[in-house]
Order: sequence, then C-alpha cells, then structure tokens
Amino acid sequence: MPTPAPRTGFASPYMQVAVSILLSATAQLLLKRGADESVHGATLGFAGLGSAWVWLGILAHIGSLTSWLYALRFIALNVAYNLTGLIQVLVPLSCWLLLGEKINPLRWLGITLVVLGVIVTARPLVRVEQKL
Amino acid sequence: MSLANLLLVLLSEICAVAGQLFFKRAMTLPDSATRAKFLAIFLAGIAVMALNFFLWLGLLSKFNLSFLYPFDALNRILLLLGASVFLREKMTPSLWLGVLLISGGVALVVAS
Repeated sequence: MPTPAPRTGFASPYMQVAVSILLSATAQLLLKRGADESVHGATLGFAGLGSAWVWLGILAHIGSLTSWLYALRFIALNVAYNLTGLIQVLVPLSCWLLLGEKINPLRWLGITLVVLGVIVTARPLVRVEQKL
Repeated sequence: MSLANLLLVLLSEICAVAGQLFFKRAMTLPDSATRAKFLAIFLAGIAVMALNFFLWLGLLSKFNLSFLYPFDALNRILLLLGASVFLREKMTPSLWLGVLLISGGVALVVAS
C-alpha cells in the first residue's frame, strides 16, 4: 500500500485534483487564444508553437498532469475521473465571463447536470472524511 | 461517418482510457517494484496518450468538434468500466449516478 495521503492543505490529493482541473481549464483558454492568433485554420496546429500563449498553455497542461499523477497515488481513478467533469463546467463559464460568449438555456441545463454529477460523486467522500 | 472513421474514434477512446489505467497503475505500484517496471508502465501510458493525441488531431481535421465531443461522454463510462475490470476498483451506486449525470450534461452542452 502507498503511504497515507496528507489530509489537509496543498498536499491533499483532493486539493491537487482541484489544481489539475483549474490548470486544465486554463490551458484550454490559453490554447484557444494562442491558436486564434497563430494557426489560422491549418489542419495540424504546428504554427501554434510560434505563439507565447500556446507555450503558456503547454506549461499549464504539464502542471495539470503533474498534479493529476500525484492525486492518482491516493485517490481511486473512478472517483478522480468523475471529478474532472468540472472542467466541462469551468470552460463554458470562463468563456461566458472572460470572452463574452453566450450560454443558451440547454447549455445551462447541461452545466447543471454536470455539477450535480460531481456533487453526487463527491458527497460520499465528504462523509468518509468526517468519520475519520 | 464511415466504418473506418468510427473505428478510429473507438480506437482513440480506447487509447485515452488505457492511458489513464496505465498512469494509475504506475502511480500505485508497491514499494518493492523496480524502477524499470515503473518506467515501462508509465511510458506505455505516455505512448497510448500520444497515439490518442495524433488520432484525435486527424479526426478533428475531418469532423466538427461538436460532432466528436459527445464521445467524451462515452469515454467517461468506458473509463469506469476499465477501472473496475483492470484495476478492480469498487463501483458504487453514487459513482454510476455521478457518471450518468456528467455524461448526460456533457452531451447536452455539446448539443446546445
């Protein structure tokens, strides 16, 4: 068995899942911005490597993977992967808040379902942590 | 979508799931495992993830993202099945309900 997980603070595996999710959403926004200014519709996005935004996006991706691998040492894959559903919420919400994109009612419904799914997944974890 | 492209999508999904299973296995090897064993499993994960990346780029050049993205919902269900079968992780009713809500939500976001 691996060593027990630190339960609180930055080293908590759940904190690192949150960091991984935030960095992954950030990476997608950075890559979108970088691709818009550099790739111009090519089939393969190699031209993106000339954009500083794309490199920031790649760094964010590497950071996200590092946090994810750390979290996997302590959390079951089926639980951790369900929690990453939040990325599907953070990206459209960020596009709405930061890029001024519109969210229609059907999309709001989808976002709500994803949030409910993550809550249903996370609730038993909170209960277990309280018992400890 | 032709049969060949459908198979490519499925292969891409299987690579994504296999990559996560390899990563999880690599990160939870017992302390007695050798460094070579860790590297072999970890690099297998990196290899299938890279294959998935290039398959996905190829598919993106043929289809709209909004058409391909619902397969992410399928991927979530495949991953839970894979974790049960290959990692013997315990599935619970709340995990099933969670993944169904998330997959349904993702499908709706894409359809909107």
